[in-house]
Amino acid sequence: MRERRVNWVCTLTAVLVMLFLLAPLLVIILASFTPTPLVTFPPQGFSLKWYANVFSASNNFISGLGNSLKIGILATALDVILGVLAALSVCRYNFWGKNILLNYFTSPMYVPSVAFAFVLLQVYSQIGGIPGPVRIFIGHFIIILPYIVRNTVSVLHVFNWTLEDAASSLGANPAKVFFQITIPIAKPGILAGALLAFLYSFDEVALSSLLSTPKFITLPIRIMNYMELTFDPTLAAISTLLILGSLVLIVLMEKFIGLDMFVK
Amino acid sequence: MATLELRKLTKKFGDFTAVSEMDLQVADGEMIALLGGSGCGKTTTLRMIAGFTEPYSGSILVDGQDVSKIPPYRRNIGIFFQNYALFPHMTVFENVAFGLKMQKLSKAEIREKVEDILRLVKLPGMDNRYPREISGGQQQRVALARALVTRPNILLLDEPLSNLDAKLRVEMQVEIKHIQKEVGITTIIVTHDHEEAVSLADRVIVMNEGKTLQMGTPREVFDHPNSAFVADFMGFSTFIDGILGAPEENGLRPVLCGGVTLHVLESAAEGLETGAACTLAIRSENMELVDGPGTDVAAGTVRTSTYKGHRTRLEVENCFPGMVFPEVNGYMETTGGKQVFVRFPADRICIYKKQ
Repeated sequence: MRERRVNWVCTLTAVLVMLFLLAPLLVIILASFTPTPLVTFPPQGFSLKWYANVFSASNNFISGLGNSLKIGILATALDVILGVLAALSVCRYNFWGKNILLNYFTSPMYVPSVAFAFVLLQVYSQIGGIPGPVRIFIGHFIIILPYIVRNTVSVLHVFNWTLEDAASSLGANPAKVFFQITIPIAKPGILAGALLAFLYSFDEVALSSLLSTPKFITLPIRIMNYMELTFDPTLAAISTLLILGSLVLIVLMEKFIGLDMFVK
Repeated sequence: MATLELRKLTKKFGDFTAVSEMDLQVADGEMIALLGGSGCGKTTTLRMIAGFTEPYSGSILVDGQDVSKIPPYRRNIGIFFQNYALFPHMTVFENVAFGLKMQKLSKAEIREKVEDILRLVKLPGMDNRYPREISGGQQQRVALARALVTRPNILLLDEPLSNLDAKLRVEMQVEIKHIQKEVGITTIIVTHDHEEAVSLADRVIVMNEGKTLQMGTPREVFDHPNSAFVADFMGFSTFIDGILGAPEENGLRPVLCGGVTLHVLESAAEGLETGAACTLAIRSENMELVDGPGTDVAAGTVRTSTYKGHRTRLEVENCFPGMVFPEVNGYMETTGGKQVFVRFPADRICIYKKQ
C-alpha cells in the first residue's frame, strides 16, 4: 500500500486550474439568463428572451448552424474515406519516400489557414462563379484531412498485419479482410480523427470568413458578424446551447464508443 | 486431407535467394518439420505454401493441383501464427467461427463445430472471453482451434511453441501431436528448436541459406547428421579434429586426434579416405567420465562445471586443442583444474570430412 499523503500545494493548484477552466463557462451560462441587454454579473432577474432571439429566423443563427453541420459532416465523411486510404497506403507498404508522402498528406496542418484561404481565394476568382457552399466546403475538406490521416496512422502504426494474413487464410477475400478486420481494429483512431476534424470544421473562423459569401454563412461567422453590431446576451445564450450540445455529444460517445480511446 | 508437393520452389528478394530450388513430397497426414536458424528460408517456404508471397519459380502442388497462382483465401490452408494473430476485437467464439462464417455455414452448424473443436483443444466455456482476457497458453489453443475448425487441407504451424514457458511447451508438444494425429491432417511445422522438430515430426528437414541440408526421420537427423553443420544445429556440443586411420579387424577405424586415438564405426566413416583430415562430433550426454586411462579415453582438466538441475555439464580443456563438454548425471562436485578422464564411445561418434 502506498501511503496516502495530501499535498496541499498540489490540491490547491488543481482546484485553481479547475476553477479557471470552469469559471468562464459558468459566467456565460448565468449571463445568458439576464433580462438586461448589457451582460451584468451577478445577473438581475431571469429571462429566456435571448434564447428566443437565437431561434428567431431573422437572426440566421439556425440557418448558420445548418450550414456548419452540412459542411462539417460532409467534409468529415469524405475525408474519412480519403484519409483512411491515405493512411493505409503509407502504413501497409514499404516504399521510398513514405514519410515524405505522410508529411505531404498532413501539410495543410502546418500552413496558416489565412495564407491557405488567400491562395484558395485567388484560385476561386480565377475560375469564377463557384457557389458559396462549395467555396467553404473545399477549404474545410482540405484543412481537416490531416487530423484523420494522423489519427489513423497512429493506430495503423502498431497494427499487427499478420491479422490480415490470418483472416485471408481463413477464407476472407480482400474486401472482407478490410471491412471485418482492418477497419474494426483501426476504428478508434479513425473515429478520434473524425471527431477532431469535425470539431475543427465546426469551429473554423479564419478560412470561412474569407471564403464565405453573404448568402452562405457558417455559424461561427454568423456569430462574429452579430458581435460586430450588437453585444447583448444572445451570444451568451448561443454559447450555452453549444456547450450543452457538446455535453450531449460527449455523453453519447462515452456511452456508445467509450471515451478512453481518445485518451490513449 | 491432402498431399503436398514442392517442385524446385524458389524465392528471391532482389539479389537475395531466400529459398533455393526446394523439393519436397509430403504424404497425406504426414507431419514435416522445417528446421533451421533465422533467415534459413523456412518461414518464407511456409508463406509461399500459404499463398502470402508468390514464388519466384517452381510450383506448389496440393493433391497434384498446382496452387501457386491461387490467392490464400481460396487455398483452404490452416495456419497457426507465431504470435497467434487472434483478432483482438472478437471473442474466442467469434475468432474460431470466423473461417466457418466465411464458408457461409448456418449458425447452428457453426456453433456445433466451434464447440467440438474447443472441446478438442480443451478450452470449453471460454466462448465469450476476448483474447486479451485469457492466458498465453489458452490463446495458443484458440489459434490452433481456429486453424483447424475449417477442416483445411494442410495445416501450417509457425514456431508454435516458441512463446511458451518450458512446462507448457512440453504439454503443448504432446497436445499438438495428439490433435494432429486425431484430425489426421497433413502438417508442416516451422521451428528453430531441434528437440521440438524431432519430437513432433515424422520427418525433419534441416535448412540453411535457403537450401535443404538433410531430410530424414527424427532418428536419422538426430543421431546421424550428414554434416558438421547439421550436427552443430542438432545439438552436438563437442567437435574434435583428427586424421582418419585405416580400417581395423573389429569394424572400427581409428582417428588420431592430437596425442589420443579415438575410434569410429567403419560404417560412419564410409567414403572417407585413410589419412583424410576429418572432424568428429559427439553429444555431451554420450561422453562418459571414467576412472583412469584406457581405450578411447582422453585425459583433461576441468575448467568450469555447471549444475543444470538433473545433470552437470563440464567444460574440459587440454584433451584436444578445442574444448570438450561432457555431461554427467546428477550433481558432480568439481574444482577448476581437476584431472578427469573422458571416454568417447565409438558408436556415438559422427565423423565428417574436415571443411
